[in-house]
Amino acid sequence: MEEIVFGIGITALAGALATVAGAAEDTESDIGSQGDPNSQVQLAPQMGYIHRIFNKAVAGEPPAYGLWVALGAGLAWAFMAMQINPILAIVLGSALAVFVQGVYATTAYLGRTASLAKFGQPVYIDILKSMTTVTMAHAFVAIFTTVAMCHLMISALGHPFPLPLLGLVWGIALGAAGSATGNPFYGKERQYQEQKFGAGVPISASGNIVRYAEAGQRNSLDNGFFSAKLGGPASGICFGLIVFFELWRTVVFEPLAAGWGAVIVGVIVILVFAIIDRYIEVWARKTFGPYTAPEEASS
Amino acid sequence: MSALGGPKQTGGIQPPTGMGLVLSIVLIIVALALAFLLVQMAGVIALVGIIIGGVLIGFGVHFVPVGGAPAAMGQAPGIATGVAMLAAGAGLAGLFGGAWAAPLGLPLALAGGAVGGGLLMAITCTMVNVIYVFGMGIPAASGKVAKDPITGDTFPEYKSQGTEGHGLPFISWVGGVIGGALGGLGGTLIYLELLDIYQAQLPVLLNATVEQIAPVAVSLAGIFAVGMFLMNAVLAAYNITGTIEGPHDPKFKRFPRAVIAAAAASAVAGIFAIALLELVGVF
Amino acid sequence: MSVKIEVGAGGIPHNQILIYGLVGSLVLIYLTYLNTITNTQYFAFFGGLAAVVALLWGTDTIKHLCSYGLGTGVPSAGMIALGSGVVGALFGATTGILAPIVAIIVAAIIGAVAGVLANNVVRMDIPVMIVSLTELAIVGAMTVLGLAAMACGTFEFLGMITGTTVILGFAVQTYEASVIGGSIIAVIFMLGAIAIQHSFNACLGPGEKQDRTLMLAAECGFLSMIPVAIISFAFIAFLPALVALLVSVIGWIYTYVQYIALSKRDAYAWLDAKPILEPKGGA
Repeated sequence: MEEIVFGIGITALAGALATVAGAAEDTESDIGSQGDPNSQVQLAPQMGYIHRIFNKAVAGEPPAYGLWVALGAGLAWAFMAMQINPILAIVLGSALAVFVQGVYATTAYLGRTASLAKFGQPVYIDILKSMTTVTMAHAFVAIFTTVAMCHLMISALGHPFPLPLLGLVWGIALGAAGSATGNPFYGKERQYQEQKFGAGVPISASGNIVRYAEAGQRNSLDNGFFSAKLGGPASGICFGLIVFFELWRTVVFEPLAAGWGAVIVGVIVILVFAIIDRYIEVWARKTFGPYTAPEEASS
Repeated sequence: MSALGGPKQTGGIQPPTGMGLVLSIVLIIVALALAFLLVQMAGVIALVGIIIGGVLIGFGVHFVPVGGAPAAMGQAPGIATGVAMLAAGAGLAGLFGGAWAAPLGLPLALAGGAVGGGLLMAITCTMVNVIYVFGMGIPAASGKVAKDPITGDTFPEYKSQGTEGHGLPFISWVGGVIGGALGGLGGTLIYLELLDIYQAQLPVLLNATVEQIAPVAVSLAGIFAVGMFLMNAVLAAYNITGTIEGPHDPKFKRFPRAVIAAAAASAVAGIFAIALLELVGVF
Repeated sequence: MSVKIEVGAGGIPHNQILIYGLVGSLVLIYLTYLNTITNTQYFAFFGGLAAVVALLWGTDTIKHLCSYGLGTGVPSAGMIALGSGVVGALFGATTGILAPIVAIIVAAIIGAVAGVLANNVVRMDIPVMIVSLTELAIVGAMTVLGLAAMACGTFEFLGMITGTTVILGFAVQTYEASVIGGSIIAVIFMLGAIAIQHSFNACLGPGEKQDRTLMLAAECGFLSMIPVAIISFAFIAFLPALVALLVSVIGWIYTYVQYIALSKRDAYAWLDAKPILEPKGGA
């Protein structure tokens, strides 16, 4: 019994760490315009819209976070192998991983922007100075919490994977969850704020991203400010729920039915999410209503 | 993904060339024969497991609804990220669950891997819809079909002007969960087969106990499972040229090509992974 | 909305880079064997240099492949490269002194098979597909083998799976504290996968220049060496690891400064805290 209570405590802690990681990850990638919304930042100058947005095209978020977290975990593992205590090791490992992330971010911005010289997009060096540091700070939070979570899974819950491999697995999952949830909110609601709410961006408007702020010119810090209000926390909840349910079903229900309890509970959780999703979908259809009258015999 | 890259315009589905088919079959047979020569029946069983795992991954990727960059603008339905990497996220989360349940036996570990992958996709797809509906006020509308095959919802009247549809219809949600589950299943299967081989061979080779070599066996099996997962997922992503809405998308019909490619690629990579320890100490 | 991938023309021909990359990385990786001959660990950093040379070559290959438009991201090419490369590298590592050569051969087989499958089964029908995936797999294998050799001072399998740990003041041999047993190979895998695709992904566009892209490739290589050098403190003696760290940091600073200078050369304008320059005639 005590073991299970301990397990539940670790599960909750890991879920909380994952929630922080997801929120920081999405805010970081939105400040850097990483992931899919990056294509619009890249497209805008080609359409004649010169902007002051950070264009940090390192890779998609899943591979990029796969590297940052695996790197943080690998360095932490090495420091622990050198007999440094785990908390210090994880902090040092994450800090060095963030250094690599920051360097990648600057080279990506310089490379992409220099290649757009033909369209008159200048390199704004102050963007690098002010925004790289902010993305690094967010990335540090995301990497540190994820590596700490992986360390808990190994030392407290007994997962067989060594720390760096676990970091790779959860780093890619973190990037996948964060980019899936957070990207549309930044891409549609922020980059195309001037377009109608409640509708997709017409393809003809592509590249016409918002470049001026309430006062002065918009930069990526304004974007982080915006997406930290919904996109970030939503990504955090997404990743937190994933980690929590994944651990919870195993820790609590694996002793039941010779291990099949964990599987059955997992399937039930999936079905519950199916119902939630269907409810949201139907609610949206009813509330937002059809935009045009249904076509006759459209099927 | 940040990717830029225009999907190639292809009219209809081009079947695999005769040479490609023959070569795939020859490669699989040669790999199986080699596996038998090197590690006897255990090798054949392991290789068959790896091939099935690779096929499941390649097939599963086709279920995952990915809209890429247009999805992030509400211009196309699906999840706004890259297909190979989203599938990898789900499959590796499945691998996490499967590897954890490995001591409880093969069926349970496989089921754990599948549920792990499905769970990630279920939560992610639901949160995607939460953002679309509550953050952006956009209802789901598929661009490829007029009616949801599962719920019977009609889409054309919910589509906003100048887009190919948007949001994540229920059929795509189901597709995502199936894709995640198949990916988790496939990744776990590759991991378990390789783990078995290494746990049998390493103690003999190094004159050590199973516990002593466990980290090496787990790491080798894990990194090969990740590597083969990514290989198969990228081949499948090439097959669907980037974006797909799910099982109702016409592009879904291309899956046999990816299945053949995944089988042959897994056979070749798998035989090297199985035979890894055969040459230790020979040179 | 996808953007057409455009690349600059001119520069050093690809075949020349291929030869330099292949021979250079092979020679450099063999220089780490001086460790075994002289019974020291000071030559470990040559493994990292081999990875840098291989990455230079891989960047140019990715540029050729991705200029055709794959339909999915540039990063996917890096994933498939390292996915097939890691199998080749670890299989090669088991063959002792022949390791780098066997790694090249095995990676070439896996890469060629993936290329044939991509072209003939998945029907990408891209002329340079087979050659490019073969090259990329070799680059992936050399990167993994080089960085792994840098971390533990040898490219031989037994060296990669054994390490020493200190328990109560005694140095004890263990499989857990090793490059493979600790899954440091997973870190190397991701370092290579991002480094191989980053330089082209970051520099693509109509103003892409070969010298700037290749300088960035070298920068990515040296940057990847830095964490590996830090990790190597856990495996090799203090002074050799310090030498490796110094080499990496000096190489990184030089290439980073050079890359910034080249970006300054190619940029439309280099401004600090200036407003948006609207194009003449308005947007």
